[in-house]
Amino acid sequence: MSALTLYNYELDENSYRVRLLLSMLGIEHDVYSVNMLPGREEKSPALLALNPCGTLPFIKQGDTVLFGAEAILAHLARHNDASGKWLPIDRPDFSTTMMWLGFAAGPLQAAVKAREVAVFAVGGHLERLKADARAAFRIMDDHMTLRHIEGKEWFAADYPTIADLALIPSFALSRDFNIDHEEFPALRLWLRRFRRLPGFITMPGIPDYH
Amino acid sequence: MTPQPIWSPVALSNMVDPSTSTGAVVNGAELVVWRDSSGKAHVWEDRCPHRGMRMSFGFVRGDHLACLYHGWQYDTAGQCRHIPAHPQLDVPQTIRMQTFASAERNGIIWAGSTTEADPALLPAEIAGLVPVRSLYADCTMEKALAILAATPLPGVSDAPKIETISENYISLTAGATRLLVAIQSMGDAKLALHLMANEGAPIAALARYAQALRLALETPLAEVA
Ligand code: FES
Repeated sequence: MSALTLYNYELDENSYRVRLLLSMLGIEHDVYSVNMLPGREEKSPALLALNPCGTLPFIKQGDTVLFGAEAILAHLARHNDASGKWLPIDRPDFSTTMMWLGFAAGPLQAAVKAREVAVFAVGGHLERLKADARAAFRIMDDHMTLRHIEGKEWFAADYPTIADLALIPSFALSRDFNIDHEEFPALRLWLRRFRRLPGFITMPGIPDYH
Repeated sequence: MTPQPIWSPVALSNMVDPSTSTGAVVNGAELVVWRDSSGKAHVWEDRCPHRGMRMSFGFVRGDHLACLYHGWQYDTAGQCRHIPAHPQLDVPQTIRMQTFASAERNGIIWAGSTTEADPALLPAEIAGLVPVRSLYADCTMEKALAILAATPLPGVSDAPKIETISENYISLTAGATRLLVAIQSMGDAKLALHLMANEGAPIAALARYAQALRLALETPLAEVA
């Protein structure tokens, strides 16, 4: 397969989602560092020609461009994970994996936006975004509380999937916008488990316990 | 700030693993709750004596809690033992944490209001309890007690029988189910309910009951018909 290039910004949470899977699956790739702040390079004509949405991350492989973190995660897992578990296409857990992946792309993006407003001082209604982020974390904590009672450790299956991977960053970074972890005990245990998986990497805002 | 009352619940025991830390707020007082590698729980003020960083953001190394900011390490008595920038330094006795008494009773970690809080004042031991969950809600203590009293436990239609064990610990019984509710007052209209039940009780159903309870707890009073 031709070389894979990730268009990425170091402090961008959705870019981190893709970096995390690239690291955990050990996928070789090149990185194009986009000057998102202050340059807004992702909105430049050259990059809009590749990704018309003007968003990060996106990947380019040969003539193919994929934008949207969740689609990229699914694509990378599909073609690079011999275990077939990160994206369990042929397993009964496929549907729940897709549901939680959709949750990461949907309600949980309030947390992504809350962090952008708090850290990058871009426009937005912080208190409303925080309330929406808290509501999303509660849905996740309620789910993992019930999973814990059933003796399960991951969101969608008996093993970690790209759903866990897509959900983790917002919770791990929630202190950036002043939402603490103490109200979400089941998510705390889950985050700790995930951090111990091979290939886990952090980003600024997620402590490295060296 | 000093936490009140004499003993306040701060977490379910099974949700704080050995060698981890978490924050907890008791009536505005910010605490760090952590377990050392031997599994013993400790409760301190959530503030590093160095520059005031939250210790709950830190990490456990053996029987030391390390601050995330500059890595100062504190032993289980709260005494600073290691300053990475000055590894040879014999750390002065004066650099120490504000510690609080801590205890585990009935599946719950309790924080004392002082270093010397009297363990004799902890609730009596109840055998054979299993964890349900902790529930965090924006609600006052009075309202929580009223709603707990009025809400049937799963599988039973009558309101539960209530027994007040202490000001922040109650028991709800209905049929063969007994639910123990330890209430952590976090501040103005913010609290956590730490729930344990008797062995054999429907734990998943009780966790769902608690999830539904949160809706009632957070519904403005006028709307509670
Ligand atoms: S603030 Fe804790 S070590 Fe500096």
